[in-house]
Amino acid sequence: MAISRGDIEHLVSDERGELDRRIFSDDEIFELEMERIFGKAWLFLCHESQIPAQGDFFESVMGRDNVLVVRQKDGSVRAFINSCTHRGNAVCRAEEGNARSFLCTYHGWSYGIDGTLKGVPGYKTFYDGQLDKSELGLRHIARLDTYHGFVFGSHDASAPALVDYLGPTGRLGLDLIAARGDMEVIPGIQKFVVDCNWKVTVDNVFDWYHPQVSHASATMVDATGRDRHQGRHRTLDMAGVDMESGESLAATVSGISATDFDQVVLLGEFGHGIGGPTTSSTGAVEFDDSWRRTERAQTLLGPVGVSVGGHPNIFPTAWVTMAPSQISLRIPRSATSTEIWWFSFVDAALSPEQKAFQARIATRIFGPSGLLEQDDGENWVQVTMQSRGAASRGIKHTMSMGIGRGAVIHEAGLHRIEGTTSEHGQRWMYRAWREWMTAETWDELREATVPGDVL
Amino acid sequence: MSGLDDRVAAMLRQHEVEQFLYHEAALLDAHEYAAWLDLFSDDTHYFMPIRRTVSHKDADREFTRPGQVAYFDDPKALLRVRVDKLLTGRSWSEDPPSRTRRLITNVRVLADNGAELEIASNFHLYRTRLKSEEDSWIGSRRDVLRRHDDSFLIARREIRLEQTVILSRNLSNFF
Ligand code: FES
Ligand SMILES: [Fe+2]
Repeated sequence: MAISRGDIEHLVSDERGELDRRIFSDDEIFELEMERIFGKAWLFLCHESQIPAQGDFFESVMGRDNVLVVRQKDGSVRAFINSCTHRGNAVCRAEEGNARSFLCTYHGWSYGIDGTLKGVPGYKTFYDGQLDKSELGLRHIARLDTYHGFVFGSHDASAPALVDYLGPTGRLGLDLIAARGDMEVIPGIQKFVVDCNWKVTVDNVFDWYHPQVSHASATMVDATGRDRHQGRHRTLDMAGVDMESGESLAATVSGISATDFDQVVLLGEFGHGIGGPTTSSTGAVEFDDSWRRTERAQTLLGPVGVSVGGHPNIFPTAWVTMAPSQISLRIPRSATSTEIWWFSFVDAALSPEQKAFQARIATRIFGPSGLLEQDDGENWVQVTMQSRGAASRGIKHTMSMGIGRGAVIHEAGLHRIEGTTSEHGQRWMYRAWREWMTAETWDELREATVPGDVL
Repeated sequence: MSGLDDRVAAMLRQHEVEQFLYHEAALLDAHEYAAWLDLFSDDTHYFMPIRRTVSHKDADREFTRPGQVAYFDDPKALLRVRVDKLLTGRSWSEDPPSRTRRLITNVRVLADNGAELEIASNFHLYRTRLKSEEDSWIGSRRDVLRRHDDSFLIARREIRLEQTVILSRNLSNFF
């Protein structure tokens, strides 16, 4: 039974703040998402610093296609589908590394690092020279572009330019990393699998309602490691606390245990969004916020952006977080399985000790062993599994916090709502999801995702 | 005959090391986290690198190193935070508690300088949670065990999982 456009429109009601739970487990909807979202959108692939030298490659994912992002002889970056044009075998089975060529291990076709088909065993004897090798190079992805070194790809040749796709909100999200210096990825991409629908992990990016409960245990422990029974309970900040010196590295009034701080939600075209506290209400969310006062940051981020302490999401699946600088990519594997990848960034100009410190903070907070994220997966799995029964999927998801009370301020190309904890960011994301699933053209999609005056 | 004495001493040492590691595993399986923490030296380093699928010729990139991103990169203070977190009663990923069983095998003494021993071991950590959730982690460990009173302290542990993409929703247990 094919799902019609009308059916999809009824799955999300941003007017009532309700979601139909079938969107979290229905295989047919997942197939449509693969086509209409992951078959079109600009998707984050990796960062240029991961592949500095000629032949360096990193395998990333676009929908269900594995994609090789490869540094070329001339310093440019190309990306091709990791699928031999002969019979479809993977031409590279490593996650990352350096290659002089890509040899298919099935029948031995070999490709240059630029994707061209170079060698075909038996080209003369078996094929009688009758094979147009120039037509049989690895398939390039339709579009590839970078923004401040962040590499994105799209399967849709007619997609708008990356910079326009990102728009002011998406660019601000990435600028919040780029503005901190000459950023590079610290080696080591954490990867793990959570048996939940990908959208559950994405709407959580804007969810500042859950930390006080989901992350209660992390906020209760004294992150310095002193004896918690001696009566000194301190809050674990977003950035954590210096594990060596025991010094609190972030403002003590802040913290994920509280929800009653000033927040700003930014709504962007195509469904990008940013949600969470302002730095002025919480103090810094990162342990050293001096970068925010640099001229580079002030110029790049502007007056609104410079105080964003919350979480940007580049639609559909790239979450930016600033404590420390990280991108978490949520990769849908099926309707009920999602892979999570963490990329951690650091200023190349820092000393090895400072870089190591950033790496340890990254390891400590997020990822499968992170003090915060350990407890997220548990909830996300249950959200997915307890919402797909014959009866439970008929109950609506409630997403109405702040509904009708979000006055949108349009300024400097950004659309923002000021206030306290709300579900504006989540509602914006699901509304955009609905438009992605139904729009016929990019223009239609853009128009349908221009924020109005109230959310 | 000194040859025999040496061999008997080596057997005793092997026995002590194995009993120590079994005791440690039993504490974890019994959720005796505070007692488990006491087995570590104050200067310990508990490290689980990220592992990557790489070609043979890139084998030196298979594991991340200290200073790079890892899954655990903990001094004692952070191990204590993890233990305290588990004891809050609100650590949802372990409440209701997971059922775990640790099988420790292939214990070898690689070096012994009198004060510290370098020990290799293999482990299988089996976990079930709630009704039907099942995780299984197999891997190897390199420990530095420091002689202390009649026993040892774990002065360093490096854990290598036989997984690249972690096939579970979290790593909320100890290895
Ligand atoms: S599938 Fe690649 S050479 Fe045959
Ligand atoms: Fe969370």
